[in-house]
Amino acid sequence: MASSYPPPFEGTGEVKEGFLCPLCLKDLQSFYQLQDHYEEEHSGDDRHVRGQLKNLVQKAKKAKDKLLKRDGDDRADTGSYESFYYGGVDPYMWEPQELGATRSHLDLFKKHRAARIDHYVIEVNKLIIRLEKLTSFDRTTSDAAKIRAIEKSVVPWVNDSDVPFCPDCGNKFNIRNRRHHCRLCGSIMCRKCMDFVPLPLAQKLINGTREALCVYGSPSHSQSPPAGGGSSGGGMGSRRGSISSLSSVTSMLEEKDDERIRCCHHCMDKLMKRQQKLEEKDHTPDIVKLYERLRMCMEKVDERAPEYIRMAESLNAGETTYNLDTAGGLRLEVQKYYELIDALSKRILTLGTKDDPPPHPKVLQLQRMIRYTATLFVQEKLLGLMSLPTKDKYEELKEKRKQEQEKRLQQERLATQETLKRRQESERNRPPVSTNGELPQAPRAPRMTKAGGWLPSADSGHAHSELEDPLLQQIKNIQSFLRQAREAQRTDEVAMLEENLRQLQDEYDQQQTSLAIALSQKLAEEESLQEGEFKRLEVWERQERWGPATQSSFTREQPLDISPVGGFQDEQDTEAEELTPKAERSPSSVRAFPALTSQEDSPPRLRSLGGHITPPGGEGQHGSSYNPFDEDDSTPVEEDPSNPFSEDIKREHREVTNGKKEYNPFDEDVEEDNQAENVTGNPFEEDDNTVAGNPFKEASGNSPGVSTNPFDGDDDSEALPDLDMIEEELLLQQIDNIRAYIFDAKLSSRLDEVELLSENLRELQVTLQEQKKKKR
Amino acid sequence: MNVTLAVKQYISKMVESSGPGMKVLLMDRETTSIVSVVYTHSEILQKEVYLFERMDSQNRDSMKHLKAICFLRPTKENVEHLIQELRRPKYSVYFIYFSNVISKSEIKALAEADEQEVVAEVQEFYGDFIAVNPHLFSLNLLGVSRGRSWEPSMLSRCTQGLTSVLLALKKCPMIRYQLSSDMSKRLAESVKQIITKEYELFDFRKTEVPPLLLILDRSDDAITPLLNQWTYQAMVHELLGLNNNRIDLSRVPGISKDLKEVVLSADNDEFYANNMYLNFGEIGTNIKNLMEDFQKKRPKGQQKLESISDMKSVRRLLQNPRLSELDAVRLVMLYALRYERHSSSILPSLMDELSRRGVSERHRKMVQSVVEYGGKRVRGSDLITPTDAVAITKQFFKGLKGVENVYAQHQPLLHDTLDQLIKGRLKDSQFPYLGASSLRDRPQDIILFVIGGATYEEALAVYNMNRSTPGVRIVLGGSSIHNTKSFLEEVMSATTHSSDRPTGSGRHGSRR
Repeated sequence: MASSYPPPFEGTGEVKEGFLCPLCLKDLQSFYQLQDHYEEEHSGDDRHVRGQLKNLVQKAKKAKDKLLKRDGDDRADTGSYESFYYGGVDPYMWEPQELGATRSHLDLFKKHRAARIDHYVIEVNKLIIRLEKLTSFDRTTSDAAKIRAIEKSVVPWVNDSDVPFCPDCGNKFNIRNRRHHCRLCGSIMCRKCMDFVPLPLAQKLINGTREALCVYGSPSHSQSPPAGGGSSGGGMGSRRGSISSLSSVTSMLEEKDDERIRCCHHCMDKLMKRQQKLEEKDHTPDIVKLYERLRMCMEKVDERAPEYIRMAESLNAGETTYNLDTAGGLRLEVQKYYELIDALSKRILTLGTKDDPPPHPKVLQLQRMIRYTATLFVQEKLLGLMSLPTKDKYEELKEKRKQEQEKRLQQERLATQETLKRRQESERNRPPVSTNGELPQAPRAPRMTKAGGWLPSADSGHAHSELEDPLLQQIKNIQSFLRQAREAQRTDEVAMLEENLRQLQDEYDQQQTSLAIALSQKLAEEESLQEGEFKRLEVWERQERWGPATQSSFTREQPLDISPVGGFQDEQDTEAEELTPKAERSPSSVRAFPALTSQEDSPPRLRSLGGHITPPGGEGQHGSSYNPFDEDDSTPVEEDPSNPFSEDIKREHREVTNGKKEYNPFDEDVEEDNQAENVTGNPFEEDDNTVAGNPFKEASGNSPGVSTNPFDGDDDSEALPDLDMIEEELLLQQIDNIRAYIFDAKLSSRLDEVELLSENLRELQVTLQEQKKKKR
Repeated sequence: MNVTLAVKQYISKMVESSGPGMKVLLMDRETTSIVSVVYTHSEILQKEVYLFERMDSQNRDSMKHLKAICFLRPTKENVEHLIQELRRPKYSVYFIYFSNVISKSEIKALAEADEQEVVAEVQEFYGDFIAVNPHLFSLNLLGVSRGRSWEPSMLSRCTQGLTSVLLALKKCPMIRYQLSSDMSKRLAESVKQIITKEYELFDFRKTEVPPLLLILDRSDDAITPLLNQWTYQAMVHELLGLNNNRIDLSRVPGISKDLKEVVLSADNDEFYANNMYLNFGEIGTNIKNLMEDFQKKRPKGQQKLESISDMKSVRRLLQNPRLSELDAVRLVMLYALRYERHSSSILPSLMDELSRRGVSERHRKMVQSVVEYGGKRVRGSDLITPTDAVAITKQFFKGLKGVENVYAQHQPLLHDTLDQLIKGRLKDSQFPYLGASSLRDRPQDIILFVIGGATYEEALAVYNMNRSTPGVRIVLGGSSIHNTKSFLEEVMSATTHSSDRPTGSGRHGSRR
């Protein structure tokens, strides 16, 4: 955390701070004074202000122009050949371009449609109601005349004499070409132009419409219309009865319509359309179901693949941000999705191909296209799916990276040492900076610098800071700040410091916890040298990245030479005293500390922490980059090849290596899959029990190391729900696919992949067995 | 100012707003070209568009699980097809996009046909042009003129195409046209009329310098399309024919099936992207095979030709038996255009030479037609300077061995026109503004339109201008993109009387 502070020393005299007057740059100690000054001296001359501002703006402009000019020149230089890389497209043309003009006619369209639809809907509903009336009585038992009477009551029939020709086909009606009435609209057609609504269809239409219209009370509802319809329509029927008496005689010759209702094909058309709509509503074809799943898988891949690629890239670079096994698991998962996509699209491709008659060519084309797209998708994405390094290879990579980083670290150190030297020289030549302003509310408080921040040196040690765990060092620094803050009665800053301290303590606790883990693990098992190396490096790496927060693993070996803890407190205190004057000599470093805020309580806890401090190892090498206070140290540690500490550091690395081999907590997980279950996700959880006495136990919960644990079992549980969905057939297909992949991988001798795939295959076969069992 | 992107954005917007699910794209003949130029098949498949259908195709089955995106030109036939479609919908839902302005009455007719309420969107998306390159568009129209005036249907199509470009780029321009061409004026007025009528559509954010539309006529520069163009893109067009960035190789004997139609797209073909504007000779080494083919096709006895310094050698050239018929004709055409009014013109004897060679009647007639089309009488500007002529012939005869000299020898007239325009020196007397107002500053956004077709060489000129003059953005368009052959067809259709027009150059005729 200290690393985020700005450098403690500013360039000399460049930056003024305090309550400066914006116009004359006079420092006026407090806000009130500044206000007074401004009102007295500068009131009314805002012209002056404007002038000042203008000046500033002009300066800024000039600087900008300069920059732009340089920019432009650069572009002119590179432009000529660059443009061909843009695919013959001029980069100037690729300015962000918004969507071209559009105009919507939807409102107008809807307006016209609504008028039309209302009409249409009324028509169709009328037909349905009539259909309901026509089917609400028992047709089979009633005799033809009675049926006719009811039918006529539903809709008035057109007069026979009014229609000499069939309105549809134009044929003349006579004794052989007789008139037929549509039962739904009453119009007259010839026999050829007649249609029939079968009763089941009628029932379906009525039910479907009813469901759509009113959800409840339908049975009783359906019962009521015949009564009303019969009575009111009955009147109509009797009125027309005499007119159509002749036709009623002739109708005896007609076959009785038991199972169907006569209607003209106009009405039939409308009904059929309605029926089609009803059918579509609750029918999802197979292809849609499969397709939806296919898309789901594709989305999953889109979501997971980038994650995997990130991991693989990092791992291939020898970084230890991710775990090789987690990545492997993710790879398997993604591959499983690919197989699913493949299998699903294959299913879609072959849908209905064995049907008779075969599907429409366009349907087949659609299926082919979906399959083709899926293949493209898999090809494209699978190509980007780089392989993971093998375990051996990964070790090599990590080793290489480690060396590189050490080198870089050395260089950085050297650089900081040099700048530090330079700064200190300039410090010496510089007159002490006057503090600007005190707190008016607390005039008698010990004199503190307003610019904020506390000297770490008040009582913390520096001379041997390289030896210390940076975490401890920081804790001590903060403790010293706290003391200073309390003395100055800055409650807000105290609180802030407390907070910082607590965090540090938590981290430290974790460190302790892992120490305990290390111990217990050491006793637990002897593991292969390689695995130990691997894990150690990873932890080391992680620590490198996250700084003191995860120092934990590094201090593992320390307890091996545990010494009485209390003794160190004094030692550090004395060290601190030694350094105090030195640090105070450079007051400007004070500014480096950002503002801190309030609270008040923690000394007891602090003390207790002190009691638990373990002797820190030679951690200066790493600590230095995080802790700005190290820079106060004038002894050039890294520069000196004969530095006693460099020996120390090296030795420590060796120690770490050896130590890890013996008690790596992760080892057993890696080696023995069957044991993976009993090592629960968080290795720290279990260990908390073993370190029962740890007073800071609760703190270890938010360990950052937990998140990367590969053995959460996530991989399996994530993949399984999907597997459940897979039918046997799909499984079989998948197995086939994987076999093909294995073959392919073997051919191109990607052995690691073969391994993964065979594992995958086994898993699938097990799932298949289970599925089969379930069936029985 | 990127026409390709403009169309792409339109189409992806259409696809996006239809939501997830399987889709079918319903198009007409022209919109099929419009879409296929900017999107490749696999690209659009990734957007879940699996089927591409012609609106007028009878062979479509009902597939209620598909969503239909209709991208159609607002023609009468299309509206009629659409009405039929909506009466008996084959797909679950319809998103309708017209590529240009559609009338209110047609909207009403469509709405009344939509009894099943399957239409979810009705919009105008102005992608009514073929975006060949980011700064080059075509309307794929051949035979736009009849004599010296517009073929009526072509004028309206050109107007639609041009206005849709303006709308897609969101430009409401000032218009200049070539005074010597009546067709330019007519088109300018027609475009202006649309802008006035649809003023609320053209109500874009005002830029400091208003954009400029300059309308030119091919007849002002009939030489450029007669010359070989030496860039890859132009070459391919010249030798193989490039239609909507597609090469049709189906007539090449023994061609494998998957090469029947080759797509050249800068988006997908890196080689093409990097070389499309390169001089053919410069990339010659990369495509040795193609070059060898080329040389087989054009055996011209180059050693002999390199010493040509005088137009009189044309005759000797013509006697060269290895010169192909079309090349011979082109040669004479160039000569005729150059020395049209020259006192000692040997054109008649050259024509004799042609007939002695057995050049067909049709081709010989073309020479006359070209002069008629692009002769001095027609030209508004001084096309050929004396030094130019020599350079032109040189370029024409140079084979691949001399390519480095060929490069940049001929600058199309368009280059000079543009150059003057950008510098603010283009004469109002030759290129007047339509309307009273004129541009005081130098133009920044320029849209050029060449009636009678642009060429890839001009596209190259525009491309180079775009690159070399920052702050200026130019888009070139034409009623089509010509190679020599298609240009000659254009000339023939313009100069022959409507009765004996070649059938191939009818309305929207294909180029070959």
